Amino acid sequence: MNWLIVKNDLKRNKVINLALVLFMMLSTGLAALSMLIAVQTFTSISELYKTAQPPHFLQMHKGEINQEEIDKFMSDYKGITDWQTITMVNIYGNSLTVIGNEKTYDLSDSRLDIGLVKQNEAKDLLLNSTHEKVTLHKGEIGIPVLLKDRYNMKIGDHIILADNEIKRDFVIKEFILDSQMNSPLVSSTRILLSDEDFAMLQGKFGEKEYLIEAYFTDSKEASDFQTAYENAGLPQNGQAVTYTMIFLLSAITDIITVFVMLLVSVLLIFVSFISVKYTIMAALEEDIAEIGTMKAIGIPFGDIRELYLNKYRVLAVVGVIAGYLLALLISGLFIKQINATFGEMRLTPLALILSLVISFLVYLLINNYCKRILKKIKKVTVVDALVSGKGFDKANGGIKDGLYKSKKLSVNWLIGIREVFYKFKNWTIVFAIVLITTLMVLVPANLMNTFEAPEFITYMGSSLEDILIEVEEGENLETSYVKVKEVLENDNSIENYFEYRRVRVKTTDSENQLMNLNIDCGENAGNDLKYLSGKAPEEESEIVISYLNANEIGKEVGETMVLFFDDKEQEFTISGIYQDVTSGGYTAKSKYIFSDIDAGKYTFSVNLNDNVDEEQKAEEWSELLGAGITVDPMEEFINQTLGGVVNQLKTVVFGIILIGASLVILFTILFLKLRIAKDLSEIAVLKAIGFSEHDIKQQYMIKIGFVSITGILVGIILTDFLGDRLVNVALSISGLGIKKVELIANPVIQYIVFPLFLLMLILFVTWFVMRTIKKYNIVSIINE
Amino acid sequence: MKTILEVQNLCKNYEDTKVLNNINFKVDEGEFIAIMGQSGSGKSTLLYSISGMDRPTKGNVLLSGKDISNLEDEKMAEVRLNKMGFIFQNSHLLKNLSIRDNIVLPGFKSAKLLRDEINQHADKLMEKTGITSVATHDIKKVSGGQLQRAAICRALVNQPDILFGDEPTGSLNSSTTKEVMDIINAINREGTTVMIVTHDVKVATRAGRVIFLLDGNIHDELLLGKYNEDENKSSSREKRLFEWLEKQGF
Ligand SMILES: Nc1ncnc2c1ncn2[C@@H]1O[C@H](COP(=O)(O)OP(=O)(O)OP(=O)(O)O)[C@@H](O)[C@H]1O
Ligand SMILES: [Mg+2]
Repeated sequence: MNWLIVKNDLKRNKVINLALVLFMMLSTGLAALSMLIAVQTFTSISELYKTAQPPHFLQMHKGEINQEEIDKFMSDYKGITDWQTITMVNIYGNSLTVIGNEKTYDLSDSRLDIGLVKQNEAKDLLLNSTHEKVTLHKGEIGIPVLLKDRYNMKIGDHIILADNEIKRDFVIKEFILDSQMNSPLVSSTRILLSDEDFAMLQGKFGEKEYLIEAYFTDSKEASDFQTAYENAGLPQNGQAVTYTMIFLLSAITDIITVFVMLLVSVLLIFVSFISVKYTIMAALEEDIAEIGTMKAIGIPFGDIRELYLNKYRVLAVVGVIAGYLLALLISGLFIKQINATFGEMRLTPLALILSLVISFLVYLLINNYCKRILKKIKKVTVVDALVSGKGFDKANGGIKDGLYKSKKLSVNWLIGIREVFYKFKNWTIVFAIVLITTLMVLVPANLMNTFEAPEFITYMGSSLEDILIEVEEGENLETSYVKVKEVLENDNSIENYFEYRRVRVKTTDSENQLMNLNIDCGENAGNDLKYLSGKAPEEESEIVISYLNANEIGKEVGETMVLFFDDKEQEFTISGIYQDVTSGGYTAKSKYIFSDIDAGKYTFSVNLNDNVDEEQKAEEWSELLGAGITVDPMEEFINQTLGGVVNQLKTVVFGIILIGASLVILFTILFLKLRIAKDLSEIAVLKAIGFSEHDIKQQYMIKIGFVSITGILVGIILTDFLGDRLVNVALSISGLGIKKVELIANPVIQYIVFPLFLLMLILFVTWFVMRTIKKYNIVSIINE
Repeated sequence: MKTILEVQNLCKNYEDTKVLNNINFKVDEGEFIAIMGQSGSGKSTLLYSISGMDRPTKGNVLLSGKDISNLEDEKMAEVRLNKMGFIFQNSHLLKNLSIRDNIVLPGFKSAKLLRDEINQHADKLMEKTGITSVATHDIKKVSGGQLQRAAICRALVNQPDILFGDEPTGSLNSSTTKEVMDIINAINREGTTVMIVTHDVKVATRAGRVIFLLDGNIHDELLLGKYNEDENKSSSREKRLFEWLEKQGF
């Protein structure tokens, strides 16, 4: 019976079968895991949104508002279902002191804008981890999960609010989920107070900021609404955000994680394919005589194939099931993170089912692939198999004479290098695996490094500077502007600084509808940005626009666009298109400064002298300038906004390195076992004619070393070419304002540490495996 | 005559089965020894135990007076490389190398001579064995006899003290066998000690001494005296050998 054959075969080649199962397990595991995470993230977010109901459109505003005007506009606008205005009292981190069990600290190092709020009635609710609306009593406080994680706060910790002669003591009652501000990429965060406390404190200190929120029958209404809202001249001193953006920013960490895992799992499926092919071919070659005999006595191809297929089916079933279970096991790690951000939720049935489906797909893929390889049985003729000894290896490339010409190179190197050179085909599989491993580790590692690199900010629409100062307050705008200028002019630790004023003009979109366009203008505007096409503006008649704006307007570099402002129209040439995530990704920049219209915002980018500490300087200015003006040291700012993404990526990259390492180890073992089995008689001959085991070991290390080096080199080159492409495809799908990112590699890691590590690992494993050649009896091999 | 090889109390077991059982003999420099015996009597095992490719279970092997039975792998490999030559039933040439490259390989490995000198030496050997015309060929594209000659050249390239052969003509037809044996006799005449395992009586008559193995023991040995083609006494040598072998129960 067939199963007996399968059983015997499984017993015979334990190591090889184990390696195969592991490859299948890892590839299935990762595919299933990424599916689990993706589904779980999206269901968790939607679940959270169901109760919390974040706004479809949100306009932040600092300064006074006229609620009646807003109400009138909202009630007149078609498609609106609800609206509300939330009051937020913004305070500085240093007015909050946390008295924890172990230490006491204030939040002055947080770059987030902290706002105190009370609970809303029905929409935009702040929830606890089980998605219940949080209600607090007097003296209790609810801290967003984001801050909890950063400072490691505990329920029961005391928080002292001290500002403007007010001093109040609160106890942390709940950690809250804030559906619209739970991403570290959002610059604000909300702390919840009881209604009583909020009423008492309101107006006594801090600075008010309003969140004007609207809900529609269809959340897609938001962008049309935004234009109408802005044109109506309603309060708009601050960021405007839409539902899609809120969702994307919330999910960004997990989106990136899933992307990386999917990438790796696809690569791992390739690895499984390669190993399966290699082992099948080895088995077929070994059994060539039997196959020939079976064919000769007329057993149909299908039956012979079934014989082999069964074994790989068994392995694949075991591998896929193990992979699925592994995914379930590991998912706990990620689910914990997802739960912390979006609230407690068990693995959803959908996630379980979809990941099972994807596992099954992997199984089908492998099964199909095995069938395809086994077609070779059909092609091999009885003569090939039994008589001519040609077997499956048809063309067997000629041997190059010429070793005798070598003058210097030692014999082991000669043998090793010549084999790699003339018989590379025997080693392509090692080459492929090393290449895949290199890609698999380097692309995610570079992605992580990119998020950590200071230059990353230039992809997001800011130029690279030490400190960024933003003045955004309505009525005090001009006086604040003068104040900042004064401070900057009198500070001799500054190397240089640039100022930009933001104005709003109108233009027409691709459908000839009027739309608003925010322009940052100044003499340095548009310099030091990464352009998707074109370049920075040089003339006053030129303008550069962000990628999302370019899509909306439907124009390209070189075309002209008309801007309407101050009752006139003026033509500008688009000199470049850049990518941006600031202000929702819809921005523009020009050298022309639109002096006829009022500014809505001022920005200063400051470069300090080399020896000046940025954080210290930022703090100093922040105190000097006071409320309404934000001063951010860029590096610290990036750390805090992207820290979460980077941290999760770190875990993932670490996991990938582990997977990569075990993959290389297992594969090298598998390959060498099969290779040695094939080479056994040659090894015996070498021993007989006076080569020591050490020499033979050295030859194999040279062979595998050379092949690995080629694999690593090609892998690095591909990482540089392909890595960017892959990431960019993912980005353009994501819908963020970024379309193109050049991965920033850490050269020491990419070119030195990783290649050396990989090479050493492979050589070490080779050295280890080659020790087994001792146990083979040359005599019996030679006498065969 | 100087003793080049001395085997003392050599035993070899595979797990529980005793294959070689207390073997003792000496070989003089320049001797030509043939080992005969039933299949499974331990002939190959003896050859490989002597040359260190297989570890003896007990006993000593002295090569030029030096005990080599307990050398570590690296040292043993060096001895095989420089002092011993091997030919097998199949040529066992490396399939990734041409004929010439196969031959110079142990020479390059040993590095006793400059590579140019090794190449010259290899050329001479190939000329002597008549394979110069196929020197650059792929080993898959030459005849069995030519392969075996190439194997002999490879075994001799380091000018070994002793040449071992395990049925070196076992896969050759009778005319090629004769040609190959002529070469081996010529080498022996030039001073190289030869020790071959064979089933072929004709081949064994070329030896000066025939050792008969039975169940891992030296059952008997026959002194034939130096083989000399010119004397053309081969038929009487053959007769003596036949009669002796019959007595051994062969
Ligand atoms: N690796 C091994 N493990 C176990 N037994 C072995 C091994 N090698 C040889 N033997 C046994 O040792 C005995 C001697 O084998 P050997 O090959 O030396 O015989 P031989 O005289 O060369 O035979 P032949 O004339 O057939 O070549 C045989 O019974 C054989 O089965
Ligand atoms: Mg034998």
